[in-house]
Amino acid sequence: MASCDGCQLTLLDCEDELLALGEAVDIVHFPEASSALRPQGRFDLTLVEGSISTPEQLEEIRHIRAVSHALVVIGACATSGGVQALRNFADHEQFMRVVYATPSYVSSLADSTPISAHVPVDFELRGCPIDKAQLLEVITASVVGRKPGIPNEAVCMECKRRGVVCVMVARGQTCLGPVTHAGCGALCPAYDRGCYGCFGPRESANTGSLATWELGRGRSKADMVRAFRLITGAAPAFEHESKRHEP
Amino acid sequence: MTETVYKVDMLARVEGEGRFSVQVHDGEVTGAELSIFEAPRFFEALLRGRSLAEVPDIVARICGICPIAYQMSSVRALESALELVVPAEVWPLRRLLYCGEWIASHVLHMFLLHAPDYLGYDSAIEMAADHRELVERGLHMKKIGNQVIELLGGRAIHPVSVRVGGFTRAPRPRELDELRPALALGLDQALETVEWAAKLAKPSQDNDYVFVAVKGDDYPLERGDRLAISDRGDIAVEEFNEAFHEAQVERSNALHCRLADGAAYLCGPLARLNLFADKLHPRAREALERSELRLPVRNPYESITVRAIEVVHAFAEAVDIVAAYRRPAQPFVAWRPRAGVGHGATEAPRGLLYHRYVVTDEGEVAQAQIVPPTSQNQARIEQDLVALVPSLLTLPHDQATRRCEQLIRAYDPCISCATHFLTYDVEATP
Amino acid sequence: MTPPPAHWLERDELGHLLALIRGDGYRLIGPTVDGAAIIYDEIEGVDELPVGWTDEQAPGRYRLRRRDDDAIFGFAVGPHSWKQRLFPAREPLVQIRRDGDDIRFSAARADPPPTAFIGVRACELAAIELQDRVFVRGPFVDHRYAARREACLIIAVNCVEAGELCFCASMGTGPRVGPGYDLCLTELDGGFVVEAETEAGAALVQRLDARAAADAELTARDAGLDSCRQTMGRELDTEGLPGLLFGNLDHPRWTEVAERCLACGNCTQVCPTCFCFDVKDVSLLANAETARERSWDSCFGQDHSTIHGAVFRPAIADRYRQWLTHKFASWTSQFDASGCVGCGRCIAWCPVGIDVTEELSAIRSQDPKPAIELPRPQVWWPREDDPLVPAPARVLEVQPETPDTVTLVIERTTAVREEPGQFNMLSLPAIGDVPISVSGSGEDFVEHTLRGVGRATKALSELRPGQRLGVRGPFGSRWPIELAKDHPLTLIAGGVGLTPLRSAMQQLAANPDDYPAVRLFYGARSAADILYDTELLAWDSLPSCDVSVTVDQASRRWLGNIGFVTRLLRRKELPLDGRYFICGPEVMMRQVLFLLDEAGVPKSHRFVSIERNMKCAAGFCGRCQYGPYFVCKDGPIFRHDHIDFIFGQPGF
Repeated sequence: MASCDGCQLTLLDCEDELLALGEAVDIVHFPEASSALRPQGRFDLTLVEGSISTPEQLEEIRHIRAVSHALVVIGACATSGGVQALRNFADHEQFMRVVYATPSYVSSLADSTPISAHVPVDFELRGCPIDKAQLLEVITASVVGRKPGIPNEAVCMECKRRGVVCVMVARGQTCLGPVTHAGCGALCPAYDRGCYGCFGPRESANTGSLATWELGRGRSKADMVRAFRLITGAAPAFEHESKRHEP
Repeated sequence: MTETVYKVDMLARVEGEGRFSVQVHDGEVTGAELSIFEAPRFFEALLRGRSLAEVPDIVARICGICPIAYQMSSVRALESALELVVPAEVWPLRRLLYCGEWIASHVLHMFLLHAPDYLGYDSAIEMAADHRELVERGLHMKKIGNQVIELLGGRAIHPVSVRVGGFTRAPRPRELDELRPALALGLDQALETVEWAAKLAKPSQDNDYVFVAVKGDDYPLERGDRLAISDRGDIAVEEFNEAFHEAQVERSNALHCRLADGAAYLCGPLARLNLFADKLHPRAREALERSELRLPVRNPYESITVRAIEVVHAFAEAVDIVAAYRRPAQPFVAWRPRAGVGHGATEAPRGLLYHRYVVTDEGEVAQAQIVPPTSQNQARIEQDLVALVPSLLTLPHDQATRRCEQLIRAYDPCISCATHFLTYDVEATP
Repeated sequence: MTPPPAHWLERDELGHLLALIRGDGYRLIGPTVDGAAIIYDEIEGVDELPVGWTDEQAPGRYRLRRRDDDAIFGFAVGPHSWKQRLFPAREPLVQIRRDGDDIRFSAARADPPPTAFIGVRACELAAIELQDRVFVRGPFVDHRYAARREACLIIAVNCVEAGELCFCASMGTGPRVGPGYDLCLTELDGGFVVEAETEAGAALVQRLDARAAADAELTARDAGLDSCRQTMGRELDTEGLPGLLFGNLDHPRWTEVAERCLACGNCTQVCPTCFCFDVKDVSLLANAETARERSWDSCFGQDHSTIHGAVFRPAIADRYRQWLTHKFASWTSQFDASGCVGCGRCIAWCPVGIDVTEELSAIRSQDPKPAIELPRPQVWWPREDDPLVPAPARVLEVQPETPDTVTLVIERTTAVREEPGQFNMLSLPAIGDVPISVSGSGEDFVEHTLRGVGRATKALSELRPGQRLGVRGPFGSRWPIELAKDHPLTLIAGGVGLTPLRSAMQQLAANPDDYPAVRLFYGARSAADILYDTELLAWDSLPSCDVSVTVDQASRRWLGNIGFVTRLLRRKELPLDGRYFICGPEVMMRQVLFLLDEAGVPKSHRFVSIERNMKCAAGFCGRCQYGPYFVCKDGPIFRHDHIDFIFGQPGF
């Protein structure tokens, strides 16, 4: 679907495991890696990347759901609409015109939406991009028949396990870690910057309290709109928070 | 009257979603189309009004294979708009990061996407059954490229440390030192790869290309203020829109870019090598000599060898940068917003990537223009298909189709990148 | 006892001390400046210590600052604690190898290098001592923790300056370093007062160029400690705190603080005593090797309280209350000490600056309800075996009970005979392990009845005779059958809640002289879901036993009772001197207990079986906490009056 292809590339980035994976499962349809395309039949596990943003994609995802035993959607686009869902906050017609001189050539839905807005999904793997180890965990869980061991917890948990010094407390930076779903390994704080939410909101995301704190130490409302409206800005918890600070 | 159509509705082993078709009427090619149906994502529109500090994170998302290219062109353009002087110690780190991306992207393309064409397989996983060592060598080099990116940027796809003015964090020398053995091994493997690629049987083709690449002091990569156009001299990066024109075509969600006079041109490995072979790292120059490749290289099927030479170049440079590394006291220079226009061009693995931003005195993006390599090469790809097809007419249909695909793959088209870009600027109504 | 003699070490000699320790083969972990904070990391000598640095701390704020002098230990505790070294954030517990139907489990051993902790503060040493209570002084020993603990040499430092967020004086843990160190330094002008507590410490002093400390130096040390004590940035009234907190579980402050709390878990992760962990099987595809790993967890996470898909602490208020009541109240019942050492980390490193001292004093001062009495801690005699390593056991037989329930008869792997009400952890490689009650046992076998609802139970229920699984246990408390001697005994079961009662029933039925009047009331969803039907009939035919069964949904062929088990009970006599064993879904148990209240049966005569999320079953992982209890070691069988203040209380 609509994406940068980075999440399916993550599969090819499993350099140490790729060949074993090819032996353990029968990869039947993976255009980025193979020209042997076998889109017919039923699938035990289907991984889908990207958001729904054209009428054709809507059609396609319904078909995919129908032929898949388990549908796992991967990445911020597929789970929240992705960065391209920023257009959901603007006038679509105008957006198209900024990029294309003749919008009528291009087929595009007004909103970019997650897969789960259209069909039931069995698991949502977060991230922009997804994490390689988590992807392998999802596939492994499916092979051995258990629940993927992917906790819905704050990035802070990974940050602390890694021994990183909190950038909010020690550097005064805005960090979405406390309200963002873990999985990246607390990358941004480990590189001395605040989390920008690419894994989307975690459960119980208390975005209101975080925003209140940041406003209290001198951030503007516009800063809050930007912070919550970026890579996963259309995820409900973040969308709700960014709208609260709109002028 | 005979009518033959060669087409593939879902191009495989390329990044993104595209199709092609070539129509032949009584032995005459009547049409060739590479169409890109990857859904548009409107990056240039959604950059408007964003803080320029956010731009590197946003533009990375244009492409999962070459996010660093987008980050690099964007920070170059924004720094020029801000008239910001980046500390000298930052440049080697940027070049090193970019070398990581060249290695990962080129090796991915050569081994996982392109090599199966030459050896007659549908995929690298299938190819591994007979050529395990070869595929493992590729995966190993790719992994080293990704390790370089991960070390500097946190993760291989959409790294997090690139910022306007430098990096959020610079690695400790000890961390970089850990890369040394892997880089040395990678360099050896890259040298072997050149020999392997040079020996692959390739169809012959000789195309009359106009080559375009960034021109700077070194082999074109992360820095350069001018663009070289073969046989036409060079221009300043700021003059991009005068020398090149983008236009929308009905069949494609990507804009086509041509020279101002309408001629198609080529950017990417072939262009870089043909224009700047003299700037190659000595190790890469040696490899070029041993490969017996004659300059100028005008056979697109040879691009696999040229990529291999560029991988040697990237490894050799990475080794040098790591050896000379001194950790900067401050990994970035702070900036203040000011209104301005900035241009930036760098060499993505696939070729020239041009960015232009208009920024406000509030530090927001007012306009963005992004011209990726694939939309520049698209016209040229179609032209090459037209040139190729008459020689295929005697082949069985499926073989001929595969040859067309192989040709398209030789350009390593990055379809996600190719979508969503503009020249036309429509003022937003308030 | 006379205090050990104190020595004086010139400032320049500190390097010598560190070199000696390194020379003895220890690696040094000590404070060092890294970017924006003073952290604990491997160091080589004095140069890497934060000489001339200090910190400014406030709720949600920490900044490094240069001092006016060149003090070496002139800072308060930072984001790291020694917990990271003794109880690492991630660690393998068990290596599992599958070979056909064969499974091998082996303990992942910690092989810690000798390590010296440089600059351990009083509060931190107290925290280490508290974690010792969790990991080595409970019913079992965590061997990985114990090995690291033994490999460490502790060079402590007395605080002569208090931080803005410190309150060790209130918690009674500082500022003077308590017992448990090898050497203790007090930094004064020009040098250190050095005290040795162990032989290792004394031997180091002997090798140093250190003279006996002068009286003036000792006076200066005491003055420094006094002034530190008097300038603590925070204060906490701990008087009766445990009872006060549990008496105020519905205090409005919980909801108020929940509006600010991010539930991010930072407080629990920086806390030097928090010990909760999660356990996961890490494997790749269908590979033979699995590593069972633990990683730090937090009661602020959803998974911490999730069981069978239900979340016991859904709201942030529930989670904050769990953290605070555990730290300041439950700890006292569980480990005979407060879980807080007053280091102030949770205040500084809360991203939104929530201050526990403020929250606690708000509860105390804003219309508190009376305190209640909490259970006294148990004393444990730790067992030596590694409780986390399963033993492979063969499936002898699989008896189908209902369409989705089977009884696994597996070979016995321990000499310890399971008691009715206890449970085992059953485990499969790459899937994990789950607590399952013992439903019966004999000389050579153990029986477990399980319903294949979750992924793990489903995989277990699909085992075939001859295949192997892992077993560890038995764990937990048992049904107190002997208390029911000479009393009428009533067993009340709902659904699979019958399984832990079955083995009790077997014993009761076999001893009619001791238990002449046993009644079993059992409610199942439908006739098809009735477990052990043959046995039920057999028991019912005995003169000493009476069995009544009811189903929620009747089918055409069902001629027996219809309705919930409570409906059945309403029609029965509930003798006041009787004993009652109850097991089933919590909502059912709540209704049964309500009926017994109405009948006037004393709470001390009723026993219930509680189920909570559980990872280790050995008292380490903290997942199964139930108010002041651990279900794994204090339960699963509880006397009703011991838990009535939390039973049915949302959030527990």
